[in-house]
Amino acid sequence: MVSIDIELHDVRKVYYKSTLAIPVLEGIDLQIAAGEFVVFMGPSGSGKSTLLHLLGGLDQPTSGSIRIGADYLEQMSETELTRWRSHHVGFIFQMYHLVPVLTAAENVELPLLLFELSSRERRQRVELALSVVGLAERMEHRPSQLSGGQEQRVAIARAIVTDPDLILADEPTGDLDAKTSTEILELLQLLNRDFGKTILMVTHDPKAASYGRRILHLEKGILHRDETNQPIHTSR
Amino acid sequence: MRLKLLYLLRNLLRNPRRSLLTCAAVGLPVMIYVLSMSVVDGVERFLDNSMTQLRLAVTQKTSIINPLPAGYRKKIAALDPSSQRIIAVCGMSWIGGRIEGDPRPLSTLAVDRDAFISAFPEFQLSEDEQAAWMRDRRAIILGRSTARQFGWQVGDRITLIPSLPPYSPMEFHVISTAEKATDPSTNWCHHAYWDEIKKQSGYPAEIVGFLFIKCATRQDMDYYRVAIDDFFANYSDATKTQDEKAFMNEFITQQFNLPRNLSILSAVTVFVAIMAAGNTMSMNFRDRFSELATMKALGFGRWTLFSQVQGESLLLCLLGGAVGAFVPYWAFNYSPLRNFTVPLIQQLEVTMVVCLQALLISAGVGVIAAAWPAIQAWRLSVVTALRNQE
Repeated sequence: MVSIDIELHDVRKVYYKSTLAIPVLEGIDLQIAAGEFVVFMGPSGSGKSTLLHLLGGLDQPTSGSIRIGADYLEQMSETELTRWRSHHVGFIFQMYHLVPVLTAAENVELPLLLFELSSRERRQRVELALSVVGLAERMEHRPSQLSGGQEQRVAIARAIVTDPDLILADEPTGDLDAKTSTEILELLQLLNRDFGKTILMVTHDPKAASYGRRILHLEKGILHRDETNQPIHTSR
Repeated sequence: MRLKLLYLLRNLLRNPRRSLLTCAAVGLPVMIYVLSMSVVDGVERFLDNSMTQLRLAVTQKTSIINPLPAGYRKKIAALDPSSQRIIAVCGMSWIGGRIEGDPRPLSTLAVDRDAFISAFPEFQLSEDEQAAWMRDRRAIILGRSTARQFGWQVGDRITLIPSLPPYSPMEFHVISTAEKATDPSTNWCHHAYWDEIKKQSGYPAEIVGFLFIKCATRQDMDYYRVAIDDFFANYSDATKTQDEKAFMNEFITQQFNLPRNLSILSAVTVFVAIMAAGNTMSMNFRDRFSELATMKALGFGRWTLFSQVQGESLLLCLLGGAVGAFVPYWAFNYSPLRNFTVPLIQQLEVTMVVCLQALLISAGVGVIAAAWPAIQAWRLSVVTALRNQE
């Protein structure tokens, strides 16, 4: 699959609490090339998670334009965005958000239910995705039977099983110890380097950020600094 | 489909205690509904049948428990010399009954052999049964639930001890189990045989509990309802004549007002079930707020989440409803409970129709209970849900 580029033009987001307007993003202009590993950093409330949600089609901007490939997200209805997400985006969350009553394989299979695939094809894709994250032996385990790192790997397998263009990771190592964090970040790096996935990651952690090739610093809803980074961790 | 179903089923087992309690919270009200509506259903069928049968009930004016002279039969019949307007005059006396060594009470009525078949055509006795009834003075038509309860069949010889003096054993030959009668538990025997038993012990035999008059038309009923009471107005045993439905309805409502009270009870129990199930579904939704948000993020649409919440509630309530509906059905149709001595249990018929109604109501409870959580799932904002979680 060919990755797609991203372009944001004057993107603004305002949240409202009763009559109080809270601006979160104040005119973001940004271009991301296909296949980049971009890290968003910034203090709490800087708007990095909001920006990630907008890029993932989970929310709509108050104004401005978000083009991902040929699609303009701000012009899509909720139904169109839902469908778009299922085909183009893989999500990785800090708290994993696996379904506890399903096995690892069933969790990974979940997004494939939105595609017209035979059960055999689904099974093959699940096995491949779990192999990529190194959990082929844990397919039938439930989330409660896995460690935090393993749960996050299952979440990564779930994010890549549909072969999306974009992988969005919101503090993917925020709940993990240092060793497991390194493993997860190396895995993301592998997906970027060897599978050509565009990865957009939000983190507070400078060490985690050092895995990206580009680091964007946000402050008070404004893109403060855009750094190119030479990733040093390439052990996998 | 398989995975969606699996997800649905496993969600029910996510919190087994909560699911079990919800099933019980739905199942028990449904059970009360089934039992209540079975009583109401039975009463309504009985009254509906009474209405269509064009019968008058004649009792002693002062009290239903005072008997009438047996000679009233002929006097009433003589009010229509052509026999065109009064089809039959059937004397009837309640004799109760039980079997030796068994405390379970029975309901048996002694009726006039010749008039019974004409006066009560709803029994739809076959030609063979009619012939046996006419031929054999010890013939007995058993209520079908009584027959099932005691394992009696056509051709059996049974001995009953009446609940009234002289309490002498009466031997009967079962000629029918009255499969089409509206009253499933009452047995019917010859009045002449009962008279004979009483005579043998020196008890007065020339009396009858009450009389049922089968009329040709509704106009005839209206006419004789007045004419009979007018005729006996100056007798020492004056009469009170009513149409059968009024007689039965008055009796039932004065005693218990069962249909209305049980209908209210049923409505209340269904409401309780909705509240209990609604509470559970709200808790389930709250517990899985972020999980549903994740599914939405993955690309599952609003309808999927809506139907997921509705599906779980529907399944849970149907499970509870099925237990609540079919346990009484089984108990009253197949289990040893049928042999209990409580009269209500003996007479209660739990039909498949009432059970299916109860299942339908359970489904309704499921849908209503999950309505608000399902709407919340429909409107769920992924961003808000994830932000609250993290």
